[in-house]
Amino acid sequence: MKKKSNTGSKVYRVFSVIVITLLAIGFAFPLYWIITGSFKTSMAINAPTPQWWPQEWVSANYQKLFSRQTAPLWEIGIPFTGKSFAGPVVPAAIRWLLNTIFMAVVSMLLTCFTAAMAGYALAKKRFIGRSVVFTLIVCAMALPKQVILIPLLREMSSLHLYNTIWAVILPIVGWPFGVFLIKQFGEGIPGEMMEAAKIDGANEWKTFTAIAYPMIKPGVGALAIFTFINSWNDYFMQLIMLSSTSNLTISLGIAKLQAENATDFGLIMAGAALAAVPIIVVFLIFQKYFTKGITMGAVKG
Amino acid sequence: MKFRKVMALALAASMAVSLNAVSVLAEGGDTTDITLWTYPVGSWGDSAVVDQMISNFNEAHPEINVTVEYLDYTNGDDQINTAIEGGQAPDIVLEGPERLVANWGARGLMADLSDLWTDEAKEAIYDSVESACQNNDGVFYEYPLCMTAHTMAINKDIFEQAGALQYIDEETRTWTAEDFQKAVKAVYDFGQENVGAVYCSGQGGDQGTRALVNNLFGGTFTNPEHTEYTANSEENIKALELLSSMDGINFDASIAGGDEINLFCNGTLAMAFCWNVAQEKNNAENLSFDVLPMAFPAEDGKPQLCGGIWGFGVFDNGDEAKVEASKTFIDFMANDETQVVESVKASSYWPVKDLGNIYEGDDLMTEYSTFIQYMGDYYQVVGGWAEARTAWWNMLQQIGSGADVTEAVEEFVTTANAAAAK
Amino acid sequence: MSNKSRMSKALVRRETIAGYAFMLPSLIFFFGFVIYPMVQCVITSFFDSTMNREDIFIGFGNYIELFQDKVFLGALRNTVIIVVVSVPVVCVFSLWVSSVIHNLSGPLCSIFRCIFYLPVVTGSVAVTVVWKWMFNNYYGIFNYVGKATGLIDQNINWLGDERYALGCIILILLTTSVGQPIVLYVSALNNVDQSLVEAAEVDGATKLQCFWKIKWQQIKPTTLYILVITTINSFQCFALIQLLTSGGPNHSTDTIMYYIYHTAFKLYRYGYGNAMGVVLAIAIAILSGIQFKVAQSD
Repeated sequence: MKKKSNTGSKVYRVFSVIVITLLAIGFAFPLYWIITGSFKTSMAINAPTPQWWPQEWVSANYQKLFSRQTAPLWEIGIPFTGKSFAGPVVPAAIRWLLNTIFMAVVSMLLTCFTAAMAGYALAKKRFIGRSVVFTLIVCAMALPKQVILIPLLREMSSLHLYNTIWAVILPIVGWPFGVFLIKQFGEGIPGEMMEAAKIDGANEWKTFTAIAYPMIKPGVGALAIFTFINSWNDYFMQLIMLSSTSNLTISLGIAKLQAENATDFGLIMAGAALAAVPIIVVFLIFQKYFTKGITMGAVKG
Repeated sequence: MKFRKVMALALAASMAVSLNAVSVLAEGGDTTDITLWTYPVGSWGDSAVVDQMISNFNEAHPEINVTVEYLDYTNGDDQINTAIEGGQAPDIVLEGPERLVANWGARGLMADLSDLWTDEAKEAIYDSVESACQNNDGVFYEYPLCMTAHTMAINKDIFEQAGALQYIDEETRTWTAEDFQKAVKAVYDFGQENVGAVYCSGQGGDQGTRALVNNLFGGTFTNPEHTEYTANSEENIKALELLSSMDGINFDASIAGGDEINLFCNGTLAMAFCWNVAQEKNNAENLSFDVLPMAFPAEDGKPQLCGGIWGFGVFDNGDEAKVEASKTFIDFMANDETQVVESVKASSYWPVKDLGNIYEGDDLMTEYSTFIQYMGDYYQVVGGWAEARTAWWNMLQQIGSGADVTEAVEEFVTTANAAAAK
Repeated sequence: MSNKSRMSKALVRRETIAGYAFMLPSLIFFFGFVIYPMVQCVITSFFDSTMNREDIFIGFGNYIELFQDKVFLGALRNTVIIVVVSVPVVCVFSLWVSSVIHNLSGPLCSIFRCIFYLPVVTGSVAVTVVWKWMFNNYYGIFNYVGKATGLIDQNINWLGDERYALGCIILILLTTSVGQPIVLYVSALNNVDQSLVEAAEVDGATKLQCFWKIKWQQIKPTTLYILVITTINSFQCFALIQLLTSGGPNHSTDTIMYYIYHTAFKLYRYGYGNAMGVVLAIAIAILSGIQFKVAQSD
């Protein structure tokens, strides 16, 4: 009896592994196709019979991508002086990458900074209005950004931030998911430790940095990765807020490329590869922390 | 401790590097900065060509600094609309009256260009173009540069092999509705499963689908006064019913004009409804067959082609200096004797006034100039145009999904006229 | 516990000041870029507002029109379909995949985990580029493979056919959504107390009983978290629709998120778009509320 169920479950497991392997191939396929496609000739890419492996590797698509548009590598403005410094002229796609990195890193840092403190306060401080704030946060968390599209656009316009990367960053930082996540972590900080710190004469800030922060650090790590990937791949805010070629992000740049050259798949694939590969490399390098981070976020939550 | 470092880094990063903050700054000095946003009108969408023209301009007017952005027909409108709401509309846009006059002009966003329309200009520029560039009160929101006739095209090789060339008049490039049906049938029976596609995923190239429907049995899209949509006429309904019943003609809601052109060029489709000379020029290297540009089939053999008129409009951004600089730019591009030829040639279309034969010895341009005689009414200036065209491709999608043609067309006309009445 | 209930007034004040001081940076962003626009959104929704014209107060006019607008109701329906289909499918699928791969050897498991996570990192825009090509009516891979294997005998216009378009969007959404749940479930399953499972097996419990009685109980918090993030994710599905179908054919893939964008920038009706936003926000707030009530009661 027992043996029979074992063979049954073995068959089931082998079968499942095969099915999952097939599915995994399907999941990896888009990326495979982007990368190989970006090296194919336009003949090969438009062939009625798909060419599963490029017969001829060419870099023409990348050359085209890099020679299409140019932009200064950076433009740093000194606020209120009217002066700005522009970097050397480079292919626009490189600038888009730089913009994206800047946006993702700044969003990540600002989000982690604000959320760490706020999440800690929500978890451990018993202040008046705490439950109201928390309810607001929970309700706003699932709110799609499209809902506030028009008011946000007008707000950015009146703040003179329209068509700057800040118009994308600020709403990302405002999104309260991070606060929620850290709050879940913060619940686990033992009250006694904080009491002890207080008795030792530590002030509020010291208590936070010395006692609370080390305990929520894994959560902050998870949030950092989460925010980085999310803002890298965000598309909607960028679509609304950015317009000039030199201010685009890479995903927006690729979407525009696709709209302008619906026909040139090789070029589009090269752009898509440029957008996807850096973030995948980052993911693979930090994979271990990453899986650990998101797992911890969930287990605590 | 580490937290402090992270925090310090965050603050440092966000304060020191205010990347892109340039746009906030007030402009100073003697130069005027203006922005030009172009739709891909021929090579006006190609930065190398446009940069050359701008440097011509700067030789004459070094005091005006022009920055160019390139739009596409899929997202361009949204991009301008968000920029308007974002308070950073461009100064100059290169496009046609349907946007400059009927849309942004009607919303009071454009500057009056009447001073560019001198008596001399009015004299020189063709009357039909002149009337398209102004609103009903005679205020000019566009100064035109070039024009063309939108045609369709067939894959001559396939038509020849299928024995369908007999149905077209190669001399006049016209065919009747009946010829069209026979030709499509012949090509379809020959084994070409996809003969043509009534593309309708978006607004890109939608004039082609309208021209096809209107021409077949002599329907019109609007009344002659351009105040009301008349797409629900008997002729149009008949045409749509015919098209949706024909084998080989797909109502394809997954592609727009640009995709259709690509499918035609790679031989998937045997005819393209979104075509003009620029398409043949731009795709020259991809074409492995003979393209035969054709007028749209018309029952009476007298096609009314939809024209394209492109020119400049100026957004009134509240800065008189910029508006003036923009006018200077337009005047140079469209009126300077040597520059205007280059500007028009860059569009790969025809001038809106008599400049002599600027395409002397260019066989392709000579071939396409046949179609200028079939130019019909420029109707894309009716009120509510932006909404109406959205409703149009949506209507085609409905018909493609098997909706009743009469009902779908009636719904379209109701929506469109409601928008026109606003 | 008891000292908390007897917190003195001074302590409450101190806690409140400290609490808000810590909350301040976050609240600036939250109120500045979420709550303030939301309030603006509610206000504008009572106006007939368009480009470059004074707003006209029309009371509940937009809301009344909203519930007579076939397209809006269709979009509402599609949004509900997307959420109702994708959330359970994502949960069940990722639980199944995880239950299989968490038993595999370490490196193999992490390779699988990685691959299923790839579409998430690749990003919707880049992924969409390939899917658009795969779904293509004329030379797409689905039609090619379908015809080669005899599954279909005529090309199917996947994205251009009302019957399939929404399904295709959901399929892509699924591939970009299961990555995180799989990672979560794998580690949740690895954390299940093995001694309990073994004890149950000794007691003669079947595999299924083992799963329901022991494993399921232990991975329940993970499941709730996955439900929440997948719901958020499904509501955010905009790029796929904007880039692939623009809501067509015949509004069959319109979601409220896309329709708001469409209303604002194609039809120039800001007040109307905002009214939609308000309705959506209320619906989502209620949904989140329910989810949290459920989560807390467990």
